[in-house]
Amino acid sequence: MLASAIFVVSLVSHIEVLIVLITFTIALTFAAKIVKRFGKSMTFFAPLALIAFLLNYYVFPVGLLTATNLALRLFAVIASSSLFFLTTTPDELEQVMRWFHLPPDLVMIFVIAVRFVPVLFLDALQIMDAQKSRGLEFEKGNLMKRLRNTIPLLVPLIAVAVNRSLELAEAMDSRAYGATKRPTSLYVLKYNFSDYFTTIAGIVMSSFGIYFALFGRLW
Amino acid sequence: MNLEQIAESAPLSENVDSVVRFTNVDYSHPNGVPALRGISVEFKKGELVGILGANGAGKSTLVRHINGILKPTHGSVEVFGESTKNTSAAKLSRRVGIVFQNPNNQLFAQSVKSEIEFGLRNFGFDDELVRQRTDWALNTFSLIEYSNRAPMELSGGEKKRLCNALVLAWDPDIVILDEPTVGQDSEQKERLAQLVKLLLSEQKTIILVSHDMEFLWPLQPRMILMSGGKILADGTAQQVVRDRVSFSHANILAPQLVELFTELGDLGRFPADEFEARDKIRLQMTAAKEK
Ligand SMILES: Nc1ncnc2c1ncn2[C@@H]1O[C@H](COP(=O)(O)OP(=O)(O)OP(=O)(O)O)[C@@H](O)[C@H]1O
Ligand SMILES: [Mg+2]
Repeated sequence: MLASAIFVVSLVSHIEVLIVLITFTIALTFAAKIVKRFGKSMTFFAPLALIAFLLNYYVFPVGLLTATNLALRLFAVIASSSLFFLTTTPDELEQVMRWFHLPPDLVMIFVIAVRFVPVLFLDALQIMDAQKSRGLEFEKGNLMKRLRNTIPLLVPLIAVAVNRSLELAEAMDSRAYGATKRPTSLYVLKYNFSDYFTTIAGIVMSSFGIYFALFGRLW
Repeated sequence: MNLEQIAESAPLSENVDSVVRFTNVDYSHPNGVPALRGISVEFKKGELVGILGANGAGKSTLVRHINGILKPTHGSVEVFGESTKNTSAAKLSRRVGIVFQNPNNQLFAQSVKSEIEFGLRNFGFDDELVRQRTDWALNTFSLIEYSNRAPMELSGGEKKRLCNALVLAWDPDIVILDEPTVGQDSEQKERLAQLVKLLLSEQKTIILVSHDMEFLWPLQPRMILMSGGKILADGTAQQVVRDRVSFSHANILAPQLVELFTELGDLGRFPADEFEARDKIRLQMTAAKEK
């Protein structure tokens, strides 16, 4: 879905198509029963689309239509990315990437990166708490002071991240990572109805996208 | 009116020297995990408190409320008579020093010395005072020989000691140590115990979060047992240790000495209280010697 959405968005500039795309994405979130979390992540990102709209409309000499169009494009990409990351676990992603016969090490790097983003975020929060408890006021001072205030945050964050990756590497080695060339999976992904449905929908949409891009209209 | 004046003008009651008060505090983490449920507790000036409980019981969450890093979801936390709601953690920390469980989460400076100075400068100490307090901290925690080394290159135990030092350097009125003995050798534990006694004699409130019964026991603190975000038991060390039911709930072992004498007491040979038992043993020993 994400792939086809980005594909369509990059090609198509027709508002109607974009609206169809967005509607479809939102319909899918209902189907996947993640409306609440989807809504949360969208309320976080949607202002971005709004800012893009205002910026385009007022700052650059583009028309209302183009501005709306650009904003909707951005919105569609954000919506479909949210949908993707809310429905797909790193484990599933790993298996899919294996299907494509990507090198296992590369897959592992990707999976670890995705999985450790929230961990890093939690680290950052904890470090901020610790430094606040030492009297550091992040919100205070002029720009220079604020920049300097990020040092006590960034240095431990990087140190913790580097340390963790070294420890993780040792732990993986000692748990026999890489002992077999093609490790088997404990869980096997199966294509079921909803997967077929979204795949076909994705292909249909992408085809429409290409068609539109080539001929500019449906008929 | 400043805090001291408020304290002076307050009518004499048993609450006069209460420095921290939790009233019906509930706290849920942003992800919805409830970590504290209906906590009501009070800490007094000059009091030594040990907080014990299984992993995930909510001990760290509780103490994070005292310097305002966390604000209660329901209920209120008052520190020195003022609600923490509208005060920043950075401000409260001047009087409430917390040493966190994980030392890696805060060390960033180029040298041990500047790491200690960081907090002092944040709180606006003048140069002379910064120098004095830094020297004091380096000496007290036997970190002098490390003063120019990079904090990140220290061993785990040394880092922990540095974290204790850098908080105590600014001389807070309430000192909270989260797992202070983790990774400390017996000499450092002994020093820490001495320091706790010294701070108590200065009328500071000290809160120790620890699983280390053998460390807590000789200090005989007021003990608070936590489990599942609630307070299970609260009383003197003697009372709490003998509350077997709460104790096993909190996944804690009584100090070995207490275990030993409780078992001997069950046999009917000794009083179950190990202090009484010790006196009895002494008496018998001297009697045996005289023979
Ligand atoms: N940042 C956080 N986000 C979500 N949940 C958290 C967070 N920090 C702690 N928790 C949860 O809150 C509960 C209480 O955690 P807390 O750190 O207070 O336990 P603790 O008693 O200090 O345990 P320990 O002995 O392991 O230090 C746990 O169930 C924990 O999983
Ligand atoms: Mg803890």
